[in-house]
Amino acid sequence: MPPTKKKRTRRRTLRQILGGVRRRVRRAAGRARSVWRRSLHLQVVTSTLVISVIVVVVLGTFLSTQINKSVIDSRTRSSVSEAAADRLQIADALTSETDEQPQPPDGGAVSLNPLDDVMDTVTGSSEDGSKKSYDVLILNPASPGKSRASGNVVPESVPAGLATSLGRNIKNGEYDTPVASIERLTFVGQSQPRLTYVVGGIVHELSTGQNYEVYHFFPLDAEEELLSNVRLAIVVVGLGLVLLLAAIAYLVARQVVTPVRLARQAAERLASGKLDERLKVRGEDDLARLANSFNEMAANLALKIHQLEELSQVQRQFVSDVSHELRTPLTTVRMAADLLYDAREDFDPMAARSAELMQAQLERFESMLADLLEISRYDAGAATLDLDSVDVTKVVLRAIEDSEALAERHGTRFELRLPHEPCMAEIDNRRVERILRNLLFNAIEHGEGREIVVTVGADRDAVAVAVRDHGIGLKPGEDTMVFDRFWRADPSRARTIGGTGLGLAISREDATLHGGWLQAWGQPGEGSQFRLTLPRTAGADLKGSPLPLVPPEIEMRRTWRGTMTPVLLPATGDGAAHDED
Amino acid sequence: MTRTSRLRAVAAIAAALIWAISGCTVIPVTGPYAVKDQAGGGDPLSKPFQRMIATRPQPTWSAEQTVRGLQAAMAAYADDPKVLPQYLTPEALRNWTPSGAVTVLDDQWTFDMGDYDGTEPVVTITLKAKLVGRIEEDDTYVPQSGGWERPFQLVKVEGGGYRVRSLPTDGLVLTRSDVDRAYRATKLYYLSSRTPDRLVVDNVRLRLKPTETYAKIVLERLLKDPTAALKGAATTSFPPGTKIESVRSGEDERVVITLSGSFDPLDLSLQHALMAQIRYSLNNNDVAKGRDIDVMVDGELYTNYRPNSDQSWLDNGVNTAYYVSRGAVHVMTKEGPGRAVQGPAGQPRPGYSDFAMSKDGALIAAKTSTGISVAGLTQEGQWQEVIQGAPADLTAPSWHRDGSLWAFDRKNKVVLRYDPASGRGPERVSAPELKGWDVTNLRIARDGVRVVVTTSKNAVQLGALTDVGGLKLGNVRVLAGIDSKDTIQDVAWRDDEHLLLLVSGKAGQTLNEIDIGDGEITEIPLKDPLWSVAALNERVLAEAEGEKGKGHKVIELNPDQTWTAKIDSDAGGPLFPLG
Repeated sequence: MPPTKKKRTRRRTLRQILGGVRRRVRRAAGRARSVWRRSLHLQVVTSTLVISVIVVVVLGTFLSTQINKSVIDSRTRSSVSEAAADRLQIADALTSETDEQPQPPDGGAVSLNPLDDVMDTVTGSSEDGSKKSYDVLILNPASPGKSRASGNVVPESVPAGLATSLGRNIKNGEYDTPVASIERLTFVGQSQPRLTYVVGGIVHELSTGQNYEVYHFFPLDAEEELLSNVRLAIVVVGLGLVLLLAAIAYLVARQVVTPVRLARQAAERLASGKLDERLKVRGEDDLARLANSFNEMAANLALKIHQLEELSQVQRQFVSDVSHELRTPLTTVRMAADLLYDAREDFDPMAARSAELMQAQLERFESMLADLLEISRYDAGAATLDLDSVDVTKVVLRAIEDSEALAERHGTRFELRLPHEPCMAEIDNRRVERILRNLLFNAIEHGEGREIVVTVGADRDAVAVAVRDHGIGLKPGEDTMVFDRFWRADPSRARTIGGTGLGLAISREDATLHGGWLQAWGQPGEGSQFRLTLPRTAGADLKGSPLPLVPPEIEMRRTWRGTMTPVLLPATGDGAAHDED
Repeated sequence: MTRTSRLRAVAAIAAALIWAISGCTVIPVTGPYAVKDQAGGGDPLSKPFQRMIATRPQPTWSAEQTVRGLQAAMAAYADDPKVLPQYLTPEALRNWTPSGAVTVLDDQWTFDMGDYDGTEPVVTITLKAKLVGRIEEDDTYVPQSGGWERPFQLVKVEGGGYRVRSLPTDGLVLTRSDVDRAYRATKLYYLSSRTPDRLVVDNVRLRLKPTETYAKIVLERLLKDPTAALKGAATTSFPPGTKIESVRSGEDERVVITLSGSFDPLDLSLQHALMAQIRYSLNNNDVAKGRDIDVMVDGELYTNYRPNSDQSWLDNGVNTAYYVSRGAVHVMTKEGPGRAVQGPAGQPRPGYSDFAMSKDGALIAAKTSTGISVAGLTQEGQWQEVIQGAPADLTAPSWHRDGSLWAFDRKNKVVLRYDPASGRGPERVSAPELKGWDVTNLRIARDGVRVVVTTSKNAVQLGALTDVGGLKLGNVRVLAGIDSKDTIQDVAWRDDEHLLLLVSGKAGQTLNEIDIGDGEITEIPLKDPLWSVAALNERVLAEAEGEKGKGHKVIELNPDQTWTAKIDSDAGGPLFPLG
């Protein structure tokens, strides 16, 4: 038995289809909304279009109504008067018939009917008559042979309501009150109904008391065609007007928006550091003045930045020079102080204590000077990397080892979260160890004796080390300030380690030199976390970090509180914009 | 600019604006400029007409009113056939049919109701009126005279009112007003069977319809055969099975006629004949006058007509007038006397009378003491006797448009026809309906179809030359009768539809113009005693008694019905070719 091929058909349910459609529509709407929000041009044109459509519709409706009313009023007025004139003629003819009726000698009635003559006149059927634009129906059902019609109207053509009204008028003796209605009637031999103005009146023959119902059928074809043409013209003109206004709005908005857009693009380039960016100035209008002002602002900014750069350079040079200059006398002082320190036991206690203090402050002074010199090297762009492929975990362990003494003093315990595999990266061993040491010292100092968690993570492109303390934490905004030179979270707080205030600044410079990121996170009462991210290959661009900046427990707590979207604290510094967390 | 001057400027601009706006009229005064003339714009292919609206029998009506209502329903029957049966009892409905000839009565009627007092269940009412005419089923209108007196039997019905139980005659009974209102005297043009290049007019009364244009009614009738008067003598060029699909006004006011049927597009003579029939039948009934006519067959143009194109379908040959002076035939000029014609006829010859000119004016015939002679109007022409007989035994010769010469042999009671082209002698033409009649005049009309015959019994009879089963003078009917004491002096065709009849009697002499369509007689006032008449369309000439010593004279009828002497003395026997 041959194997049967079962065609697996993938059938989507209606709900899925609708969901797909809904998602597409939502995406399209989102895109449209985005385009709408971003385009001033589109907003102006759309607003103009909407407003002009409303105005044109309102005006067009009003105009159409007025023209309709005028045309129909005029037609009905003339029709009513024509019908009245005809009725008068018919009444005259019937009256003269009564007056002049010859009596045959044998007493029989005379069949001669003046209705024919007057109908000839009224309908234009006579030899010299011309065709009238309307048809007439005369009905006298009470008398034989006294009903006439012209054209193709028949008694059934009379609208029922009109006949009823006329019958009521006859009953009430209101012979001078004609009734009228506009109806769409289908006449004999015609397939399509025609819009017709029907006027019904009564001719009352006084001598015999007979009543003739006289109906006039005025076709409104011409008026209907005229009004259709007018309506079409209004629609076409209105549409043209709307499009014209849209085009005008487009052109005018373009005149305004284009310079604004150019200014925005120039401002963006200026913001990205292209200080030579300038706008072209055309004419003398407001936009030209805006361009002028922008150019002046850019020039002033460039000047100020240049001045500040120069000043900064001078300052850095000054610090560098001072540091270098201080080293020589400091070396001498140090030698002298070493001698004194070594001989302190021979001194009286006061002098011995002074020698110890001097020795300690000199060490600190030397350390500070070393940091200043290191900073100066960075400022001078003289810092270089001594790269080597190193297992970062080992570097971390060495840094922890160096920090253990201090940690013990503060009663702080380290918790290490290290990967099993080596985390190899091309780094300057000395500099990275210094960074980690600084981070650990900083954590110990601000950790309030609580546990410090050191985590190492790695992925294909980068390795990262996060140092988490559970101390006082950082206030909002301090996560960037911590890397400023000589910045102190709480100036009143006593230094226990005796740092120079340049440690984190140097660490950041070290990280930047590697093409890595050094970022901080902290919240008051929640402690803080510093994360060092380094590319595995020196010089490679970082696209993300293997470790989160915000500690996972904090993130989880936020989620539990109902915030579904993870809140990412602003990751400042290099690479902050690339942080995926 | 100061504030005052600014205000002034604004005020001036505002004033100018108001003036300009108020001065703008809705319809600006313009012109003069050339406008396109819309020929036939006022001709909607139909003429307005009114019609009777029939009313159902009312319970309150008397027997007389019921008969009037019945007659009104007859008048409206073609438009609304539902009302008329409501007047009739089932018995009457079974026995009576509306088809057949239409009886036309005068408008004034009287009713003889006998001893009717309104209580009898069955009433017989006699309607008395003057008979006016009859419309045959082939649409011929036959004028009639005399009284019409017929009984109608009515029965009373439950709920009041009457129904007609018996009608005196089948067919509709209409009044003159009904006919005037709903029928239209129409000239239809058919092709002459003997000379198919000439149209023959056929007068009919067509019933107008509110749902169709008059033009379409005319054309639909044209598809059918002519009336009995022209049966076998004229024919329609429309192929059998032709239908008129529509007649409408197209672009540029042209009339577009759409036909369906089997037409041979290569048969040009059919195209021309068909268009001639359509054109004359519409134009001569005041429809589509001066308008282009397009005939479409199956959506394609079959043939068309432009108003300025040549019209030869009613050609009557040359229209020169002649007269006889001292036995010689002369041409009558515009001023009157003219030169003698060439050939022997232009020379005085006693004993020659009753001259007749052929269609093209090339041959002339005259009665002589031994018969009828013919001569050519050339120098070489010679009188040649073609029909022999005593003058009293032969009527005056009459030319046919085909070139043959006709006369009636009173002695042998036969119609003679001599065809100069045949090279044979006169031949006898069958005329069974003239058997027993003493024919005094035989005149062939210029259309070559109709023949007027007068008899010694003072009857004017109209016949036609038919071609069914050989040439025959048939379809003879009495056109008009005159008093037996009067004498028909002369008869002449004026045109295809009118005859002039010169009658002398006790009361004097009368010249009547008879419409052969409806038999209407119009008397032309006379000033002098006449001897003979001749006519061609608008021109009517007569030989009249001249002043003393001057012999006879030839006079002409003016449009205002007065007579003017054309030739004062020694002139007579006016004649036109044919007729």
